[in-house]
Amino acid sequence: MSAIHLHNLVKKFGDFTALKTMDLEIADGEFMALLGPSGCGKSTTMNMIAGMEEPTSGKILFGKRDMAGVPMGRRGVGFVFQNYAIFTHMTVRQNLAYGPRMRGAAKAEIDRRVGAIAEMLQLSPLLDRKADRLSVNILQRVAIGRSAIMEPAIFLLDEPLSNVDAAFRAVMRTELRQLQRQFRQTMVYVTHDQLEAMTMADRIAVMDHGVLQQVGTPLEVYNNPANAFVARFIGAPGMNLLKGKPAESDRGLVIDLGPLGVTPPLPDELAPVVRAVRGDVLYGFRPEQVTLAERGLSMPVSFVERIGARTIVHLGEGGSAVKAVFENDVGLSIGQTAVVAPPASSVRVFDAASGRAVKAG
Amino acid sequence: MSAVTATIAEGEMDAALAKPTLRDEGARLGFRLTLPAQILVLFISAFPLLMQLYISVTDWSPLSGAGWWSAWEMWNSFANYTDLAADTRFWSALERTAIVMLVCVPAEFLLGLALATLFADDFPGKRIFYSILLMPMMVVPAVAGYMFFMLFQSGGPVNDILSRIIGTPVTIAWLSDPTLALIAVMIADIWQWTPLMFLILLAGLVGVPEDQMKAATLLGANAWQRFTTIVLPKMKTIIIIALAIRVIENFKIFDTLYIMTGGGPGVATETISVYIYKVTTQDLIWGYVAAIALAILIVLSIVAVYAMKRMAKVREVAA
Repeated sequence: MSAIHLHNLVKKFGDFTALKTMDLEIADGEFMALLGPSGCGKSTTMNMIAGMEEPTSGKILFGKRDMAGVPMGRRGVGFVFQNYAIFTHMTVRQNLAYGPRMRGAAKAEIDRRVGAIAEMLQLSPLLDRKADRLSVNILQRVAIGRSAIMEPAIFLLDEPLSNVDAAFRAVMRTELRQLQRQFRQTMVYVTHDQLEAMTMADRIAVMDHGVLQQVGTPLEVYNNPANAFVARFIGAPGMNLLKGKPAESDRGLVIDLGPLGVTPPLPDELAPVVRAVRGDVLYGFRPEQVTLAERGLSMPVSFVERIGARTIVHLGEGGSAVKAVFENDVGLSIGQTAVVAPPASSVRVFDAASGRAVKAG
Repeated sequence: MSAVTATIAEGEMDAALAKPTLRDEGARLGFRLTLPAQILVLFISAFPLLMQLYISVTDWSPLSGAGWWSAWEMWNSFANYTDLAADTRFWSALERTAIVMLVCVPAEFLLGLALATLFADDFPGKRIFYSILLMPMMVVPAVAGYMFFMLFQSGGPVNDILSRIIGTPVTIAWLSDPTLALIAVMIADIWQWTPLMFLILLAGLVGVPEDQMKAATLLGANAWQRFTTIVLPKMKTIIIIALAIRVIENFKIFDTLYIMTGGGPGVATETISVYIYKVTTQDLIWGYVAAIALAILIVLSIVAVYAMKRMAKVREVAA
């Protein structure tokens, strides 16, 4: 019933195309994160699902029901706005009761539901406070409660954690996930914060410039990015991508990175597909998987960034810069030369011209 | 523990006594800078008020031959005020003013609100209609009075249009019928001042946060429910301001009305301002005029203070 299907969805604002032919299936009860940099079309997609904007072309279906022309009040979606859009002239109780009241629920029924939702979100002691004197953290709960009280089959959240402080964000991530498990609604969550997407979502839809780049579980997206954009965007720091040419050597197929030398040989399953690529490729590996080695890419250390538990070492510069994440006691300092090597299994190769991943099979 | 706190508090107090704070210095400089303006305001508001109060307890008139400062010689022991209480022409003028206000202000408010709601959304030709709509407000009231004087002549355009609609000649003597004259005067006021109401209310309406409206829609509120639960509560302050402005202004209704009817026929459209004008220019009993004016001032001040209080309260609740 509450699965969401987006078919060939296009949205244009005048000459500007916000969304180019999007196809996405969101299963019933799934937690889907729409992830991408600002202006990638994720909010536009969400607004179209909510009915705030009509698609230029394409279809939105909830289950089997076509949503074209269904006004936003009748779609049965809960929506949490980025700035919460709390009714500031009302109390917390009035905010929570708004939906049922507008639909003409009985007084006793409203009281019961408000009580239950307030209990669940720990808002009970605040029920009679004016909504304009609450902290952002509380507003956030009120916004969620106000939508949740309607028990919508589909819950849409537009960057709900972008305004709250870091400590509370961690708490809310867990809470939102639990909330969703409890209700089993279909949840669509728009964010530009990959940490939120990675920790909460069942699947992530990565978007850029109005184009859906990849849909997959957090680990799929992290481990096997579909293209160079996703590789760079996911992960902190993102995947290292070095441009080079495939070259044969006596140890197998390697990538010739020009002044950086040649890479260790590619794993056997990658070699045949990389051989088939005409032109340059991008040699990719995760900073976290880099190890110091006897043989490998020898690069000068240009900067050492200590972030507590770990240390990010910047190697080389310009087009051939690489980041590597080590334990915090790594013995490298600026000016030294480090020899790094990614384990063969962690290497990903992309077609430099199209950006697409070059994969076996 | 408490001893320590007390010592600190004392220390702070000493410091505060020894050196004027920045805030005090700022206040003192502010006072000095605004002093000339304060004196000016004192002369243009306090002085006439005191003079009025002084004259209002005398029989002084400009024809008495004496300067106003020697009006005390004509002291009449509050006779002006006792006369006022018994002055039926004054009381019926006051009643008429109240009727005009009770019809015009709500009409202007409802029309203004309806127009503002209409103009909050986009429609083709909005900007042109917007300019046209604001025009009445910019017409000099005396000119507006003359316009409506012409419109409501028995051979004028209003009757002409009515006869075209009905099909038989209409010759209503608008301005010489006591009831119709009052209605004509009210129409002129509504025509001229609805735009102001519209403008203020539109400003309030566009200030209603759009996302809260969207949230209400998503929660299932229909247009009317959104209007009553979100728009009106958010506009409370601005509505009170708009109503207060129009109540006070409408109470002083004069120029348009005086040109249209001169307060007539008889005293049928004689409002409080027209009455004061007539007593001032025709009867020339200025001591009495001062007494009337002072009484009106007190009434209007009560309205104004009430409005301000409500406004402060609403703002406190809304803020």
